[in-house]
Amino acid sequence: MVDLIKKNIKSLQESLFSSIGSAALTIATTYLVINFFRGMLGFALTSDKDWLAVLNNMQLYMVQAYPEEDFIRVWLSVGLTFVLAGLSIGIWRSDDRVKSSQVFNSFFKGGLGVLFFTIIAPTNASYMGNDGSVITEEVFSMDTRLGILIPVAVFCVIFFSVRFTNINFTVNSSDMVFFYLFIPVALLWFIKLPTIQLDQNNERIIPEPLMPIADTTKIPWTIIFVAFLVSYFIGMYLKNIKSIKSTMSLSWFLLPLLIFSWIFKKPQIDMSVVLGSDLPIFGVFLLWGFLVITFVNNSIFKKYYSTYLGATFLLTLVGVFSGLPMLAKTCLLLIALFSVVVPAVSTSSQGKRSLLIVWAVALVTLTFLLRGGASDTGIVVPGSSIFGGFSLTWLLAIFGTYVSFPLGVLLALGRNSKLPIIRIVCTGIIELTRSVPYITWLFFASVTLAVFLPAGVEFNLIVRVLMVTAFFSGAYFAENIRGGLQSIPKGQYEAADAIGMSPFQKISLIIMPQALRAVIPTLVSSAITAFKDSSLVTIIGLFDFLTIGKTVIGNQSIPVNFVGHDRENLIFVAIVYWIFTFTLSRRSMKVEKKLGLGER
Amino acid sequence: MSIIQTKDVKKWFGDFQALKGITMDVAEGEVLVVCGPSGSGKSTFIRCINRLEQHQEGQIIVDGIELTNDLKNIEAIRSEVGMVFQSFNLFPHLTVMQNITLAQIWVRKKNRAESEEKAMELLERVGIPEQAQKFPGQLSGGQQQRVAIARALAMEPKIMLFDEPTSALDPEMIKEVLDVMKELAKSGMTMIVVTHEMGFAKEVADRVMLFDEGMLVEENTPEEFFNNPKSDRTKLFLSQIL
Repeated sequence: MVDLIKKNIKSLQESLFSSIGSAALTIATTYLVINFFRGMLGFALTSDKDWLAVLNNMQLYMVQAYPEEDFIRVWLSVGLTFVLAGLSIGIWRSDDRVKSSQVFNSFFKGGLGVLFFTIIAPTNASYMGNDGSVITEEVFSMDTRLGILIPVAVFCVIFFSVRFTNINFTVNSSDMVFFYLFIPVALLWFIKLPTIQLDQNNERIIPEPLMPIADTTKIPWTIIFVAFLVSYFIGMYLKNIKSIKSTMSLSWFLLPLLIFSWIFKKPQIDMSVVLGSDLPIFGVFLLWGFLVITFVNNSIFKKYYSTYLGATFLLTLVGVFSGLPMLAKTCLLLIALFSVVVPAVSTSSQGKRSLLIVWAVALVTLTFLLRGGASDTGIVVPGSSIFGGFSLTWLLAIFGTYVSFPLGVLLALGRNSKLPIIRIVCTGIIELTRSVPYITWLFFASVTLAVFLPAGVEFNLIVRVLMVTAFFSGAYFAENIRGGLQSIPKGQYEAADAIGMSPFQKISLIIMPQALRAVIPTLVSSAITAFKDSSLVTIIGLFDFLTIGKTVIGNQSIPVNFVGHDRENLIFVAIVYWIFTFTLSRRSMKVEKKLGLGER
Repeated sequence: MSIIQTKDVKKWFGDFQALKGITMDVAEGEVLVVCGPSGSGKSTFIRCINRLEQHQEGQIIVDGIELTNDLKNIEAIRSEVGMVFQSFNLFPHLTVMQNITLAQIWVRKKNRAESEEKAMELLERVGIPEQAQKFPGQLSGGQQQRVAIARALAMEPKIMLFDEPTSALDPEMIKEVLDVMKELAKSGMTMIVVTHEMGFAKEVADRVMLFDEGMLVEENTPEEFFNNPKSDRTKLFLSQIL
């Protein structure tokens, strides 16, 4: 034990005080950090701050004015995401094991940090009162200090002494995810928070009574946690089923479409149209595609294939200008294009099978979008959009990345293409979008874009914003990925050519995987930038997470007056942004490490 | 029966003419060693055979298929012709096993188990079955080059092209690669080898060619080439290299 402490002190000495210069730096930095912390804590705890302005407005922060009777849709979408996540974690369960000593050690270190910061916390802090005088008050009493110090010290001692016992086991690192999520969910049932209560005269009862967290928060989260856990076990059970991994990837791909078009939009659907028109059209085209795939290698059919193609395209042309339902028109166009690809791909039975799956999924998605996404929403919300607060920020970030990343890959490949037309168009798109500020594009989306769209086509403001965001961050992604492409030596292309790979196989199996892993850090920083830039939508009248905190709550006077309490809200918003971006960057570092396995 | 025929092949890089009309043919099962000073066009020539470089004039016929701009012909020829590069060009993001099975699965459309079996067989043939699950970056140069040979063989090619396979290797590692190549030559594979390893040429080549300034200067059996060369250029070359 004494040896251990001696060793630690020695290593501290070596790393922090190795020379006069580094000792000075250490002391100066420590002094700065401690002062910064004391200032921040004092600022946060003085009695002119009303943190209930944050706590009391959680619902506003999350979904803004989304109607309460439709909350079940929001919960369902969150739940669905967690179920998919649980399944994926189960299916891709890693074999990495975490040693208990590592976990205990990190608990111990965390406890030590809390101890240190509790000890140096300021006792008094001052703030400027309304009349300009400086008011000093006690913010961190000795009782509070001891109330924190004693339990945390016990906690530290426990986790420190574990290392001298023979408690030693390993935990699967995937299981740890559930443990870490379990803590906050369990806490929901135990913590009590100060809550605003009004008396008969609509005056706040002060001091605020401590109340448990509302059932509308803790019950859904508990259900979601249980569903997450159950789907994790189901995922482990399904692990060995063939093609389960590709099904999962496909589900992730389709999830945003489902959430957007069915859960958030609450489409108004006429069942008679669905049964009378959509399903038959769906069936006919599914059968058509199936027949084409099955008989494409038949010698008689092969002979007349070009005639068939011509006929299909003619039929499409006629169909588009006829009075057919929109779904049938789109499907006609799709089957014509599909028929062109079929002979090249369906050379083996494996190719045929995957082609049929692709066709079925394409049809389902199309039917779905045309009926669900395009129909009017049944949700009525005051203001211009049904999204607001964190759900809008999240939508812009996730959906923006989701659309812009593949777009970026295509643009990067297009810019490197040998065909001049494609190269010029892609370069043009990239240079045009990048050279104009994002805010200008947002104004373009809100004011001008409608003029460019064909008559009769109208999109919601959010969809228009998503369109320009996709191109804007797509252009940045494209340039990043192009950098990655340039780092691939020519020999890799030649080696892929020499073993007879097609250009598509060469790009998707050899070049892209290497190019992408070379630029993971820049891709992640682009994604983080896109996430933070989403707060710019405030200038075209959308209420994102930041706007809720800064503007909406800052002006709130009914039922409780929160005017002037925007500093608390800004701090809260900053912390939430930080949590998400920090998690993202840590995750990406792990991915990098994992993928860097075979690097030179 | 010649498996590769070239007639008057010419190639320019900008204004520089790299190949000034090469006419030759290779019989099935023949081992041909091509040597010559650097910049003589020997690498360019064998890279033209599987269309890594494009010739501008003349004719190249491989296994009865003429090389034209037709992508189908090019892919057909490439899957019959294996190539080994000076700098190995293994795929660094895939394991040795994946490097070897990739083309079998995606180009030959074999299933995974079958192609892994084939890969193991080839790794045993080149003498490194124990390295199957490692990444190329974890292997020595000689081992990497042997993996590259196994990768090319996995496509079951009729012809193997070697573009200076030992030039990037340490002297101790050259032998292990040459041994694999000798074994391959004895098994009856058609091979064109660009190399400076004259010992290899003496031992296994059926014919030796000397390129200089984009022209085929001499074509001879190894005994004649080394002991009794026809042209003065060959004598000069041999005096510098031996």
